[in-house]
Amino acid sequence: MREAGGRAQMEDRAIISVRNLVKHFPIETGFLRRQVGVVKAVEDVNFDLNEGETLALVGESGCGKTTTSHCIIQAQRPTSGRVLFRIGDAAPMDLTQMEKAELKEARRNIRMIYQDPYSSLNPRMTLLQIIGEPLVIHKMAGSQEALREKVAELLRLVRLDPSTMNRYPHAFSGGQRQRIAIARALSLSPKVVIADEAVSALDVSVQAQILNLLKELQNQLGLTYLFVAHNLAVVKYEADRVAVMYAGKIVEIGETEELYTNPRHPYTEALISAAPNPDPDTKNRARIVLAGEVADPGNLPPGCAFHPRCRYAEDRCRREIPELVEVGGEMGPSHRAACHFASELELAGISGGAEEPEREQA
Amino acid sequence: MTAAQTGEREATAPPGGDAAADPLLSVRNLQTHFFSREGVVKAVDGVSFDIKPGEILGIAGESGCGKSVTSQSILRILPRNGKIVGGEILFDNGESSVDLAAEEADGRVLRDIRGKEIAMIFQEPMTSFSPVHTIGDQIIETIRIHQDVSKEEAHEQAVEMLRRVGMPNPARNIEEYTFNLSGGMRQRAMVALSLSCRPKLLIADEPTTAVDVTIQAQMLELLRDIQADLGMAIIMITHDLGVIAELTDRVMIMYLGKEVEHGTVEDVFHRPQHPYTRGLLASIPKMEPGRVEIEPIEGVVPSPYAMPTGCKFHTRCPDYIAGVCEKQDPPLTAVGPGHEVSCYLYGGREELE
Repeated sequence: MREAGGRAQMEDRAIISVRNLVKHFPIETGFLRRQVGVVKAVEDVNFDLNEGETLALVGESGCGKTTTSHCIIQAQRPTSGRVLFRIGDAAPMDLTQMEKAELKEARRNIRMIYQDPYSSLNPRMTLLQIIGEPLVIHKMAGSQEALREKVAELLRLVRLDPSTMNRYPHAFSGGQRQRIAIARALSLSPKVVIADEAVSALDVSVQAQILNLLKELQNQLGLTYLFVAHNLAVVKYEADRVAVMYAGKIVEIGETEELYTNPRHPYTEALISAAPNPDPDTKNRARIVLAGEVADPGNLPPGCAFHPRCRYAEDRCRREIPELVEVGGEMGPSHRAACHFASELELAGISGGAEEPEREQA
Repeated sequence: MTAAQTGEREATAPPGGDAAADPLLSVRNLQTHFFSREGVVKAVDGVSFDIKPGEILGIAGESGCGKSVTSQSILRILPRNGKIVGGEILFDNGESSVDLAAEEADGRVLRDIRGKEIAMIFQEPMTSFSPVHTIGDQIIETIRIHQDVSKEEAHEQAVEMLRRVGMPNPARNIEEYTFNLSGGMRQRAMVALSLSCRPKLLIADEPTTAVDVTIQAQMLELLRDIQADLGMAIIMITHDLGVIAELTDRVMIMYLGKEVEHGTVEDVFHRPQHPYTRGLLASIPKMEPGRVEIEPIEGVVPSPYAMPTGCKFHTRCPDYIAGVCEKQDPPLTAVGPGHEVSCYLYGGREELE
């Protein structure tokens, strides 16, 4: 195993530390595949994933949240940067430097759940095969009997009936399939689970079941989640900390409640304002509707990538790229934003619940 | 803009009240079934609702509740194995009332109404457009099918409509193909196409589902503005209760082909009566400060081939009354002005005996 320097580079509580992560995709053209440009999908991303927490990566399509998660698990090799991973008191390992065999070992501890349980499960495999496959691959199954026992236990863990283990995915609804995907992800007793839009394709009543299941499993098994999502309300419910991404960069990161009630980046403010709220009383509230669309990561504007859509933008924003800096006072938990005017702007976060009395259902 | 908009909306359609206006569209006991080898799926099973001129009605529910099939039934664009087997869809075309359910799906009457009187926008704008024609050609074609105008006039109208939906450079955009446009611009072009003949009713089937939240906000603002501007009625079909709350005057909640509750958005969201509506609202994470717990609805949606008897929700209902709910469909019971619920908790049990 390659070790990545001393412990100094990782925060004490961190299980994964992402350092200066960059992922560029070449834009090629013509028969000779001449490179004419580069898509900066992830550009200098830094964050720590602390043991036992849920950190959400939020942003719109193309912001680089999924690419970031792929670069962590090395499904895509980053262009540069490091992904440090540490189990317990062992020395941190840099996943980006690992060869295939070493990675296999590390990936036992970092598992993924995908968005669409209709395409992520092989329709020709039974639940026993789907959930048991990682155990077989990692030679942790033992006998066929032991494998069945282990799979039954995993099915019970995700509240499915173990007697269904010889059936195929088509016999299950979307929510049940997502439970199967979770059981598969948990089969190797991982430390970290990356959930990439894991509830986005589900109906709301089922989405709520899965959100609660993920929380229960986290408490029960001490899991750490990297929760990639675009739905801000879901993230508010599920995450301890939130990192907001825009055009390949983290523009704001902080504790969930703090970030939602006291956003310090204009993009976060706009995202919060745009999220539809299931309360007709807020129908006529003044909403920030951003003009234009997400910046093209193949052709980023100069300076702050958000400036063409930002209602507070000034000259400086068109020239200088803002750094992600601490904005949350000296005491208390870290809250960082990448905006030149983060300390001056008065931005609006979520409100409403506090001033309004709880509305009781009749 | 907000004040003007609200004024307009209230002037044309007082939410929930018994407006003097006759309904523009009146759906009566609509039944649309799908026939396949596995059996018959009663996708829409006895749904009734009215929509008045200028009103925004939401139809909400989870997948399989029949909300999209309802809209496809109105425009008679059902898949081949789907059939309207009962009920009426009465549309007021200005002179008389036509029953769309009784007309030929590809007959003269429907072809005159579709695209002209009633238009539709979809989740994926690319499906509304041909990729090999410019958006201008397609909008002009639609205008000239339904109106007796010259090419030049139609061109002018098309540019004007593109301007209204907020295309940045209508005179140039009209020459563009859809693949040149970004997602948000395609959505706008689709709205322009659907509104090019100034329909009386616009059916929007999940138009904001596949787009990002900032684009969704643009789309909702556009629909709100354009409704205030042109005054058409809108049926908004979505699973997103946030979108319903932001846009609509009245809402109908559906579950497995049945209407479970309808009323003004304020009534349905603040005073939900049906256990399913309550469950849905309790399942959504809220954008409010502090910790707000969510409570999922237990169980799974039953298979469409093995529908429960009686109330379709009784298998998952926390208020299930044994010996009552599984017997028969609960009737719609009024629980307030313009607020009706289909649940035995609120009446209808006397008739069971």
